[in-house]
Order: sequence, then C-alpha cells, then structure tokens
Amino acid sequence: MIGNVRRNTELGLLVLGTMFVVGAYVLTTLPDDSPIPNTTGPFLAIIVGLPLLAHIAVRRLAPQADGMLLPLASLLNGLGYVFIVRIDEARADPDGLAGLQSIWMILGVGAFIATLIVVRDVRMLERYRYTAGFVGIVLLLLPLVPVVGRTINGSRIWVSIGPVNFQPGEFAKLALAVFFAGYLWEKRELLAINRAYGPFSLPDPKHLGPVLLAWGASLVVMVSERDLGSSLLFFTLFLVLIWVATERVSYLAVGVALFAGGAAFAFNAFGHVQERVDIWFDPWGKDRGFQVVQAAFAMADGGVSGRGLALGSPTKIPVVESDMIFAAIGEELGLLGATAVLIAFLLMIGAGLRIAQQAARGFERLLAVGLTTLLGFQAFIIMAGVTRLLPLTGVTLPFISYGGSSLLANYALLALLLRISNDSAERQSDALAAQSMTEVGT
Amino acid sequence: MSKQIRNIGVFLAVCYAALFVQVNRLTIFQADELKDNPANNREVERDFSSPRGSIITADGRVVARSVPSNDQYKLQREYPTGELFAHVTGYFAFELGSTGLERSYNDELAGRTIDFDLQELSDLFVDRERVGDLTLTMRNDVQELARQELGQRQGSVVALDPRNGEILALWSFPSYDPNALATHDFNAAEQASNMLNADPEKPILARSYQDNFFPGSTFKIVTAAAGVERGGVTEDQPDYPARQAYQPVGAGGRPVGRPIGNFDGATCGGTLFPIMEASCNSAFAEMGAEDAGADAMADTAQAFGFNQDVPIDLPRPAGSSFPAAPEFENDSPKLAQASIGQNDVRATPLQMALVAAAVANGGEIMTPHVVREVRDDQGEVVDRIADDDVWTRAMSGGTADLLRQGMISVVQDGTASRLDNGLEGFEVGGKTGTAQIGSSDSSHAWIIGFAGPPGEAPSVAVAVIVEAQPGVSEQTGGTVAAPIAAAVMRQALEQPAALSGQESGDSDSGEEQ
Repeated sequence: MIGNVRRNTELGLLVLGTMFVVGAYVLTTLPDDSPIPNTTGPFLAIIVGLPLLAHIAVRRLAPQADGMLLPLASLLNGLGYVFIVRIDEARADPDGLAGLQSIWMILGVGAFIATLIVVRDVRMLERYRYTAGFVGIVLLLLPLVPVVGRTINGSRIWVSIGPVNFQPGEFAKLALAVFFAGYLWEKRELLAINRAYGPFSLPDPKHLGPVLLAWGASLVVMVSERDLGSSLLFFTLFLVLIWVATERVSYLAVGVALFAGGAAFAFNAFGHVQERVDIWFDPWGKDRGFQVVQAAFAMADGGVSGRGLALGSPTKIPVVESDMIFAAIGEELGLLGATAVLIAFLLMIGAGLRIAQQAARGFERLLAVGLTTLLGFQAFIIMAGVTRLLPLTGVTLPFISYGGSSLLANYALLALLLRISNDSAERQSDALAAQSMTEVGT
Repeated sequence: MSKQIRNIGVFLAVCYAALFVQVNRLTIFQADELKDNPANNREVERDFSSPRGSIITADGRVVARSVPSNDQYKLQREYPTGELFAHVTGYFAFELGSTGLERSYNDELAGRTIDFDLQELSDLFVDRERVGDLTLTMRNDVQELARQELGQRQGSVVALDPRNGEILALWSFPSYDPNALATHDFNAAEQASNMLNADPEKPILARSYQDNFFPGSTFKIVTAAAGVERGGVTEDQPDYPARQAYQPVGAGGRPVGRPIGNFDGATCGGTLFPIMEASCNSAFAEMGAEDAGADAMADTAQAFGFNQDVPIDLPRPAGSSFPAAPEFENDSPKLAQASIGQNDVRATPLQMALVAAAVANGGEIMTPHVVREVRDDQGEVVDRIADDDVWTRAMSGGTADLLRQGMISVVQDGTASRLDNGLEGFEVGGKTGTAQIGSSDSSHAWIIGFAGPPGEAPSVAVAVIVEAQPGVSEQTGGTVAAPIAAAVMRQALEQPAALSGQESGDSDSGEEQ
C-alpha cells in the first residue's frame, strides 16, 4: 500500500525533475543558429533513461522505500550534468568531460542498482562491520601507498591502477559509516558510562580510545593527504554517531575540544592549512584566493535570477567542473537557482533523517544518520567553502560535481538509505498485517 | 536517540540557513562592490564580445564600428578613419580600458540604457541587436580640413556652432591610431600604448580639450567684457593713451613691478575698437587692472567658463583657469598680466572657441557636445542630446553685440585680417593672440573667431592654436593661425549635401572596405 503511493510519488517527481533537466539541457546546448548536435540523442537518453531505470529498480528491489530521495538525487545529478555539458561548451571542448560524466552516471546508477541487489538486508552489513572498518582504513590510506597513490591539485587523495584514477576516500566514507554504526551500536552501553569529575561528567578514559583513534586518523588524512574537507567530514561523522549512539553530550564536548586543538595544531604546524585560513580571511590579495574570488565575482554577476543558462563565463572559475561548480550555478541561475540546490539538499537531509527516525533497529538508525550526515555535511562544506562561509576545502558537491568516484559512492549511499527505508516500511506493514490478523482472530 | 537525530536536523538546517544568507550576500548585497572590484573584468569581457553600436559623423562617415573577428571575442572594434577622430571616439580596448566616447557613451553603445530596456519589452521575441549608434554633431569634412590645414604642427583646431553648442571639428596634432590599441593582440596593444605614453609629444592627449595653454591676447575679449560690464568701458571711452608700455601702479599710485610692453615695442592706444584691432597690451592691461579690477575680472572669467567644470560629453576634459580675486591683492602687475592672458591664466582651445561663441551668441555659451543623437539598430532616434542647454551666460546681450562689432573690426582693420580669406559675403569677427611661453622667444599662435551670413547669428565659431612658434610677435596669430581658422570656417559654412546621408550611416562605410 504505502509502497504504491511512494513509488507513484517518486515517478511523478522524477518526471517533473527530468522535464526541468531536459529543458535546461536544451537551453544550454541549442544556441540560436547552430544545428542540433548529433550528441543530443544519447545525452537525452541518459538524462531521461537513467532515472527511469533507477526507478524501475526501486520498484522491483525496494518497493516500499522513501519516494523523495531518488527524484532529488536525479534532479541534482541532471543539473550537474547540464552544467558540465555547458562548461565543455564554454571551453569549446566537444570531447570534454560530459561524455565521461555520462559514463559515470551510468556506472553510478549501476552502483545504485547493484547495491540494492547485493544488500538485500541491512543487517548483513552489521555482520561485516569490522571488515568494513578495515576496508575503510585501507581505502583511506591507499593514496599514501607509493606506487599507486597520486597527488592531483595538491591533495594526495588519488589512486591510479592502470588507466583508472579514483578517489578511494569517497568509498572509504561509506565503509567507515557502516563500521562506526555497527561498532558504536555494539559498544554503546560501555561508551555511555560516564564518570563524574567534580561538576563535570566525562566519558571513562578507557572508552575514549575510539574517539582518539578517529581523531588521530582524521589528522593523518589532513596532514598526509592534505585533504582538509574529508578530514573534517570523517571526524564529524564519527562525533555525530557516537553522540547519537550514547546520547552523551560529553562526547560532543570532548570531540569539539579535540577538533579545536587539532585545528590549532594544524594551523600552526602546516603551511597549507594556514594558507587556507589566511585566504579565507582575506582572499583579495594578488594571486591569493583566486578560486573564491572568481567564485564571488561569478555569483555577484548572477544576481537574483542569474545570467541565464549558457550565458555566463564559468570557465573563469578554476576547477569549476568539480569543487567550484556551485559558483557556476550561482552565476547562471542566480540566487534562485542556488537556493533551489540548497533546498534540494535540505530535503534530502530531511528525508534521510526521517528514514533514521523510522528505522526500528539501532544499527539501521545509526547508519541512516551517518549516511545522511555524510551527504548533507559534505555538500555544506564545499558550498560554504565556495561562498567563503568557511575556508575552502576541496570536496565534491554530491551528485552535481564531475567525478566518477563521487557519483558511484553517492549513488551507493542513496541505495543504502532506500534499503533501510524499505526494510522499516516492510516491517511496519508486516506488523500492521499481523495486528489485523490478530484482530480478525479475536 | 530520536532527540539527537532531530538535533542533527536542526544543526544542518542552521548550516544551510547560514549558507542561504551567504549566497544572498554574494548575489545581492555585496554584488555591486564585487562588480566594482578592480580584479573583476567580467563586465569588460562581456562588453568586449558583445555587439556594439557604431559612431557616425553628421555627414555620414563611420568613425567607429565593430566587425566580426575570428577569435574568441567574436567582434573587433575598428576605427576606419584612424587618427582623425581618435581624440573623440577614444578606443575600446581589453586591458587598456576605454577612453573618449567609447567610455562616456559605453552604456548607449552597448545598448544598456533605459530607453532600450523599455523598448525591449515589446521586442522580447524579436531577434535584434540591441545596441545604440551614435550620430555625432561633428563633420568629417570639417575635421579632415582642420587636419590638412594644421598639418604637422603641434596644435588644435576647434570649430563649433555657437547657437547650439554642436562641435563641428575637434582636431589636435599629434594624434594616434586607436586601431593599434583596440587590437586583440594584447601584447601589441600594450606595446603601442607604452610607446604612445612615452612619446614626449603626448599624442594620446587631446590638446583641444584635455590640455590648456596661455591664451595670450585672445583673452582680451574676456577683459573687454569685464571692462564693458563693470569698468565703464564703452565704444567711445576711455581713450587709452598711445604708449609703448603700461606701468602697473600700487597703493597710492606708486609704480609697482615691471611695465607691460607692447609687442615689438609698438606704440598704441585709443578707444575699445582701435585697441582691439591693434591688440594693444598697454591698453588692455590698464583696462583690466584699473577700470575693471580684480573682482570684475575674476567674476567675468568665471562667467565665461574659467574655473568651472566643462560639461562636454567627452571624458576628462581639462578646465581653464583664472586666478581668484584675492590673489591679485597687492599685486596689480599680476592682474595687469592676467588681463592680457599671461601669468596664471590658462585656457583650453575648446574654452577659447566658446569665448568666441559667447560673443557670437548674444553672450550665452551653449553646452558643448559632440554627440547629436543615439539611434537604435532600426535607425530610430532613441535619445537626442539637448541643443538648447545654456552652460553659462558670459555677458549681457548688449556687451556681446558691442564686442561682436569690435571683433568684426579686428578682421576688417586689425590683426585678424586674414580671417576672412575666402569668406567673402560673410560677416567675420576674430581676435588674434600670441602667448609668449615663459620668457622664451617662442610663442603660441592663437586665433579665435566666428562667421555667418550678415545680419544673422553667426553659425560657426573657431579657436586655433599653433603651439611653440618661433618669435614673439603680435603678427604670429594673424599669419599662422588665421588662415587655418578661415579655411575651417569656410568649410563649416558650406552645407554639404552629404549631411542628409546620416540616415544611412553604412552607405559611407562601403568605400572603406
């Protein structure tokens, strides 16, 4: 019952979102006088076909799952795709990123469906929590391995195996979310024991081990891979989950204190951290905050309604196709378009947290919270960096930025959320059915 | 646990609200500040590859236009007349910015003005280039003749219509080729700019309106106006004594400073017209210093436009200056020298043309302008520059009439006798000037004047300066500058048939291709 309503809502929303994306695509790629490019057919097939394919998979594999997440994700993905097409065009580069991105989108939806197929029951993941933890750590540290690790744009977060480059950190965050959720749910009672120190009540030092470990790991990531954004993301993920699991504010306090200490240490010890912060305070100096300054100029040009699709100058912004893509959206779609993106992410956060609230079992709740935090906070970190609300730290904008690792990981994340949602809805309807059976029986 | 989850929701919502506020700041509240940031060249770049209107002279010559280019900017700005209108059109360059009309009428040329926007509503679905073409008041034939007559001598020629302030010619030598600066080869443009800026003759500077000089004896028109209006000078009196020099006097009638001599040690004197005809230094020095006095001189100079911002529709015009009255206190020699256009008096050639225009136009100086109207791509006039704007009243109509007679007599019987060369049948008035440069033996040769059909308001006023001529003689202005002014006025008075050609500005551009 609920499944039908949800699936039909999902389909309706998908159609709406797809119509918007197709419209945007047409506006972007069809200038007044040039003929219709012969790539239009395949591109439209991807824009229209992939969401439908994902929808059909959900109908088959998770029919009772939440109906909001997929349309929102596919709207954001479609919007990002249109902007990547548009950036290619501005660079006069027909063999640019759009073709690759469409392959990543196909693989992303493939990862989405595969995750739904493989993970038939979330409890299965709970069993493999330590394996997940191990895999997560390995993935996180993989870029540091001499032969395969590569440094691109100053961050050592890439791995090259043969012709394939990817960012293992994007997958590590999923594995770590599974591990944290499983581990913390298992140890929550131990961890929740507080000890009073005068007026303060703090966690028992012997249980602080995991916190310190997570803190240390995120420091390692920040220092050795120069990846401030991911480091902040992992630590936040851990803090949020330990807090939700133990319901102890003291962990938050300790965590924030550790974070402040770590940040102060990093600021003083590492030039690149200091530079980021300096630029954040004053980006205007010559050759200083070129990225954020160009992003600010772009958004100022955008105004309320934007310059219009294909009418801005996105190529003036460095790395506009990935980290800085939000600025291009602000330029061409203005305050309205940028706000729409914010709202879409906020709605996804809302849907994710609702899934967490409705999940019956602790592990599922923690995992849903963790995945939602990853998605919502990562989007926040990069958009805040682009708009100079926070120092700029390079992470991708989920579903929108160019990039295979990011898309695959985020589609898998989406599939896990839908799986959790489906399972709790199924249990609920089972319970309802059982109840009505009993009622009939009496 | 659900309380914590809700709090995470609240936390993230707060984060996103802060983000929303920040996006608002960037797109709206700080937007103007960000757009004005010197590092922000987005608007320039946009203008640079957008369609842009042409600039066309009153007689239909295209002097600036955009033509397709094969590079990323799609359009190349081009100046078919090269140096001829460079000081008027200026240039439209990427890294060097823009000058001249390209600067002062940027919004019109780019089609950004309100008139266009309003029109846009009805034209929303019509594919039109919404740019504005400028039609100038200036005439290619007059400008071309000014260049030809001045030749390779440093100087300026300004011709305008005294009745409405329309500038007909605004030429100064040396000039420069704006095409060299507007090229998309930015290295070449920078080199060209560096060379022009290093040139001691400053070809980029429009001497005609962006530089000022000693006006010399042409300033005596202002002194005469002060004398007539506030010093009791009439056609008949006073009768200044014939002498070689005027000795300034201080308090108690004691002589102060050095005497002010006539050129070549000549003896001259008499009433207003004879001293104008002879350009008599001794008489005008006395008129300014004693009959008019410091206050009247300073006030009158200001009424003529000295010490005021010049409201011309070109960027960065230079002003003209006359010392303030208190500076003459206890310094009557200074006042006497200023009265003959020396000492601290400076005037732009444009200003001196306006002095002649004031006399020709009953004492009123109309706001000078080079643009007549802005037309859209359909040739419809969307903006017309007012031609009945009075900038300043220099003197009363009666004074102007008297000085007009005086200037006519300067041509008929005085130093400006060559000013009516080829202007038979017209009423021509003028005043020569020789402005000694410091105490050197070289001088600027000046002439100002007007011409028109007899009995009618003169339809052309001119100022010509030929800089740094050898020798210091009152003859210089009359011999060197007057023939140039005469030729220019003759051309201006000939109404060329091509004037109606302004409707189709493109017809003339054909010959350039």
